[in-house]
Amino acid sequence: MNVAVSPTERSLSWRRMLLVALLCVLAPRAFAQAPGPADQRAQAVTQVVLGILSYARWPVEPAQLRLCIVGPTQYTDDLVKGTTQATGRPVVVQRLLADHPDIVSACDAVYIGKLSADERSRLFTSLIGHPVLSISEGGDQCTVGSLFCLRVGDEQVSFEVNLDSVARSGVRIHPSVLQLSRRRAPAS
Amino acid sequence: MRTPKARPTLRSVIGRGHLILALVAVTLASVSLTLLGVLALRVYAEHNLHLIARSINYTVEAAVVFNDSAAATEALSLIASTEEVAQAEVFDASGKLLAQWVRPETGMLSQVELALAHALLEQPISQPILHQGQTVGSIHVVGHGGSLLRFLLSGLAGIVICTALSAWVALYLARRLLQGITKPLQSLAAVAHAARSERDFDRRVPPAQIAELDSLGSDFNALLGEMEAWQSHLQSENETLAHQASHDSLTGLPNRAYFEGRLIRALRSAAKVNERVAVLFLDSDRFKDINDNFGHAAGDAVLVAVAERVRAQLREDDLVARLGGDEFAVLLAPLHKAEDAQRIADKIIASMDTPIRVPGNTEVLTSLSIGIAIYPDHGATPGTLLNAADAAMYQAKRLSQGGQQTADSEPTAANVIHRS
Repeated sequence: MNVAVSPTERSLSWRRMLLVALLCVLAPRAFAQAPGPADQRAQAVTQVVLGILSYARWPVEPAQLRLCIVGPTQYTDDLVKGTTQATGRPVVVQRLLADHPDIVSACDAVYIGKLSADERSRLFTSLIGHPVLSISEGGDQCTVGSLFCLRVGDEQVSFEVNLDSVARSGVRIHPSVLQLSRRRAPAS
Repeated sequence: MRTPKARPTLRSVIGRGHLILALVAVTLASVSLTLLGVLALRVYAEHNLHLIARSINYTVEAAVVFNDSAAATEALSLIASTEEVAQAEVFDASGKLLAQWVRPETGMLSQVELALAHALLEQPISQPILHQGQTVGSIHVVGHGGSLLRFLLSGLAGIVICTALSAWVALYLARRLLQGITKPLQSLAAVAHAARSERDFDRRVPPAQIAELDSLGSDFNALLGEMEAWQSHLQSENETLAHQASHDSLTGLPNRAYFEGRLIRALRSAAKVNERVAVLFLDSDRFKDINDNFGHAAGDAVLVAVAERVRAQLREDDLVARLGGDEFAVLLAPLHKAEDAQRIADKIIASMDTPIRVPGNTEVLTSLSIGIAIYPDHGATPGTLLNAADAAMYQAKRLSQGGQQTADSEPTAANVIHRS
């Protein structure tokens, strides 16, 4: 989409092809049976992530919202295409390695895939004191660091909020989102 | 066959008038008030529905953005259940139903409310859900007319109560008014009836509260007064005429007709109880001379004096009448003895000894000749008795002027001389 990020794009597409190939090898059954559900999940995740982003306010609003995807993820096929928010602000999506040194300055939000505990803690340590909105794809690790944790189910994608992290990060989240997640927390 | 319609009474006319007035007034007022109220309430209900939709909108916005059906349903029911909403639905951007809330049916009344809301309100209300200036879904809200129905029902109850109350007040006022009208009318009618049927002109209509009726009553009273005066005038006139017909205008004594009437009655009652009745025939001996010598005025004075003196000698029940000219008749009834009649005749003759003062500052002396006839000895009928007394008087006059003579026991045909 952007000239500046086109190399990333290219590497992204390479990874994507790899991922698709992997999926084709690992789960041919699922694909053969219902190519829909995976797409649906990816779309739902995109919707939730974009929803969270739309309810978030940064201390200094960036002209374009830079969303970084860190680590291997399951449901970002739809998300990586990038989009434009309703306000007209573009959302630029890029994949970064977990130990990328410039994450803090290059990203306004990070979507965290599966990382090792080490990688996670290093990542979160680097994020401390910076207004970066973090969303974890796996819900089991939400107690540490991440602001939002997704719970991807068959019916819908829900999320949890780590209020302490939200308070520390300096990113303000609209109360109705907090309410939505809090109501949902015991259910999930 | 048309039966003639019975005339309505004043009571029914006034009562009906009041009632109709009250009912029309109440109905007009209540209907117009209810209509205005419904119109106003309709505006507020629609406004309220919009507000509800907006508050639902704000509440479910995040849920719609995150496509969270459960949260949307929860928020929807939280708001809708406490508001006047029959049905609320939330759709996402693609028009898929995300959440729905329908008020549980609670019987007949809720159906009526729904029908009322459908009839009066513009529904369903549709509002877009906006997030960051973009439509992410929409809300459909259908109101239910609970408060409308309550308002209409209470309005209806108010109408019924007001109608009943004003009908009662109208009837009460009508009755009071009626009393003010009919009471004077009734007394007027009673007085008029008494005046017409019993010639009772003494009664008067009492004063009334209402001015027109009072003036009618007082006019009627004045009319009654005039009629009473007229009646008494007529009566006295009648009495005067009757007196004049039966009495002599000069001496004030009854005349011949009156005397004969009394005689007939006296004889009839005497025949029943076996009593005696005396008829005295009196004639002035020197009346013609007095008339000739002293003038008619003197003659009249003599007649008046004779009448007075004869009257003075008699009992209260006895009768003296002037038969004509200088002839008088006395009826003594009842008479115990024949001697009583002779004694009275003597007293009458003796009463003439005093001279009579006549105009012209002179005095004249007169004497009477008296004939006595006694029932049943000298006759059984008024005519025979009078004739017998007349004949006896002539006999007395022949024997000695200023004397008396009792009739013969068997009146002869020669004695019977009719005098006109």
